[in-house]
Amino acid sequence: MEVDNKTFKNTSNSELQTPHSPEARRVVITGLGIVSSLGVGKEEFWENCLQGISGIRPIRGFDVNSYRSRLGAQLPEVDFKAFIKPANLRRMDRIGRIVLSAVRLALDDSGIDLKKEDPHRMGISMGTGLGSSDTVDQFFRSLLKEGPIGAAPLLFQTAVPNAIASHCSIEYGIKGINLTFSHKETSTEMAMAFAYHLLKEGRADIILAGGGDELSEPLYHVYSMLGALSPGRGKTLEGMRPFDRNRNGIVLGEGSGILVLETLEHAEKRGAKIYAEVSGVGMAGSTEGLLRYDLKGDSIAKAMSIATKEPSTIDYISAAANSTPDLDRAEILAIKKVFRERAREISVSGLKSMIGEFDGSGGIRACGVALSLHHGVILPTIGTEDLDPQCDLNIILGQPEKREIRSALLNGCSNGGSNISVWFKRYG
Amino acid sequence: MRKRVVITGLGVVSAVGNSIPEFWDSLIGGKDGTKEITAFDPSPYRTKMAAEVSNFEPEAHFSKKEIRRLSRCDQFGLVAFREAWRSAQLDRDLVDRERAGVVLGAGSGGILSVEKYFRDFYQGLKRPSPSLLISYSLATTTDHIAIESGLKGLRSTTTTVCSSSSASIGVAYEMIQTGLVDVMVTGGSDSLCEVSYSGFGSLKLIDPESCKPFDKRRQGLIIGEGAGLLILEELEHALRRDAPIRSEFMGYGICADAYHLTAPEPNGEGVERVIRIALDHAGITPEGVDTINAHGTATPFNDIAETRGIKRVFGERAKDIPISGIKSMVGHCLGSAGGIEAVATVLTVENGIIPPTIHYQVPDPLCDLNYTPNQSIQREVRAALSNSFAFGGNNVCLVFKKFSSE
Repeated sequence: MEVDNKTFKNTSNSELQTPHSPEARRVVITGLGIVSSLGVGKEEFWENCLQGISGIRPIRGFDVNSYRSRLGAQLPEVDFKAFIKPANLRRMDRIGRIVLSAVRLALDDSGIDLKKEDPHRMGISMGTGLGSSDTVDQFFRSLLKEGPIGAAPLLFQTAVPNAIASHCSIEYGIKGINLTFSHKETSTEMAMAFAYHLLKEGRADIILAGGGDELSEPLYHVYSMLGALSPGRGKTLEGMRPFDRNRNGIVLGEGSGILVLETLEHAEKRGAKIYAEVSGVGMAGSTEGLLRYDLKGDSIAKAMSIATKEPSTIDYISAAANSTPDLDRAEILAIKKVFRERAREISVSGLKSMIGEFDGSGGIRACGVALSLHHGVILPTIGTEDLDPQCDLNIILGQPEKREIRSALLNGCSNGGSNISVWFKRYG
Repeated sequence: MRKRVVITGLGVVSAVGNSIPEFWDSLIGGKDGTKEITAFDPSPYRTKMAAEVSNFEPEAHFSKKEIRRLSRCDQFGLVAFREAWRSAQLDRDLVDRERAGVVLGAGSGGILSVEKYFRDFYQGLKRPSPSLLISYSLATTTDHIAIESGLKGLRSTTTTVCSSSSASIGVAYEMIQTGLVDVMVTGGSDSLCEVSYSGFGSLKLIDPESCKPFDKRRQGLIIGEGAGLLILEELEHALRRDAPIRSEFMGYGICADAYHLTAPEPNGEGVERVIRIALDHAGITPEGVDTINAHGTATPFNDIAETRGIKRVFGERAKDIPISGIKSMVGHCLGSAGGIEAVATVLTVENGIIPPTIHYQVPDPLCDLNYTPNQSIQREVRAALSNSFAFGGNNVCLVFKKFSSE
């Protein structure tokens, strides 16, 4: 870091376009790690997505009889021992294990040899909405039952939201930037966005970016009490069906997606395979209310326009669409505002239709976009049968679409009004 | 080119004052905000003290309807925000609201409200109100401030517990210096709750009497609460509107110990590294630093590691640098600790007065620096550091400098 910053400070204007300047430095994706309801590892995930399989099933593990909702997109059994050192595994709760497994997969996929890397030039940028919600609940219930003596130190130390990033730095000896973001449904997109900026600024060579969330009973309870879960108060069926006329709320999911983000210079030096380039991020807020989305789509549009400098090359938008009446419509409005007559040429699809909605979904969805760019295939939106006439764009329904993708946007939108868009470009 | 970033507004809610003038008077007067806990019944606990915010009347700031929907954390955050915004002489029309945003750090967030809900729910006493759950997300205070101020630029929430709001200040700075935004509201808010109190208690990290940083008798933290908010602004933007410039933000460092889930790396290696990264990023040599606002939690291990880290950076000169441990007065405010301490650091640079570390009586041979014991001192400050370290070895260091237009 010292070297880079000094170089930057001392360069004259004519030298600012060298790889040492933020303007010229490029950021690429060199590894993907996925632990999802559609499988563990990018191969299994991709196969299942192509076939349009849904990760949504009846909830296992806790009783949902007192709720109006029955469904969730939960993980299959994961053999965490295969991914995490035994001594560290014992100290991790479930969300720690889920994310650390995705980290292992991403690092393996990237071919990074940790022995050859400077640990101070590697960083971690994690996003999680509610982190260890289950551990916090266990801690609290034990405190209620037994008083102070019931407060369990081992639960407490893993219950803090940055424990995931700490586990990760300890497991791999990563000593650079270490950040955790928690901002509702945009938590992981933000972790990636800041990782992108920090790499551009030369503050690290490699950042593990992404994150995840778990589906726990207390979390299900909270979402249900706040009226966020499908089927809401309506009479229609429970389910995730983005852009459908009868969409009626979210189905909760869980999982983790991690991207190895790296400066192009560093990736080339070690001969890494490159999935795609991250070429920009945009963020914008709306101020309509605490649990409201950006209803007119203006700030979603703003985020997309800041993210991409070449709107004419956008062939695919991985939508934030989460099957709520407000967000899906607003996102369509936003796409029309930005792309105007070109809007219908863009393939739009919502991966949340398969993996459910959760605050930390952005990592998995970003891995999906990277794989789409790499394979030239757009993943379908499933579950949608009766397309809302207001959602009249080229929405890829049911079957994947083969298409050369020049560049793509990944959108994230949170209730309360924080919106983000990440621009991915095909590399090479 | 990097843009220069200055601080143009400050706001605070704390155990020693709910406005900047009151807070600063208390700090330089060495006032302790520690009292017996009122937020919940402390009688079952071995320790009973905390640095709670007092004389805070929600009704003076919010309507009844608002109070029902705002957690204590949201209320602190909004009140400190209003002071910071006013003191920066900003209003909606003076900024391009699409180029102004909010990045806050969060710790326990609205968990106090969520605790209330689940306490009733699990004890089956009554049907609790779901509106207590609105604060379930750590981003709630950030969203409230953005909605109230109408700021439409980027918005985010960082959460690395005890260093959360220092990290948020680093992130806010980064976004301005790259030219993405002109103005950022940053810092953090947090409120005392039983989950975090009992958690730190279970780790045997709470002192039964008072917080005594760097003193040999220290036994740990006193948990505090409150909010510390700062307005960061791009220099040209601030100059154009003739804004009150309080100090310049020069840079930051963030790094990880990669050592242990709760204990700091004992030799101060992580502390050394984060200070060096911050100074290098700020373009300031160690010789330019005149004071350090320490993390100084008064846990036995933290204070030794921090002392060692400071010595590793400053060598012989370390003994000449007055260090402040203001947690001795405001407690450890977790998610807002970094914000409140950053506010104190800006005031230190601005006023040339270094607040003391109070309750300092018995020197510890392992903590052998100048901790500004019990009395504030006057001294011209060119640049000051504010340290924050968190569980899991998440280290942050911020660098503030006296503003000069050169």
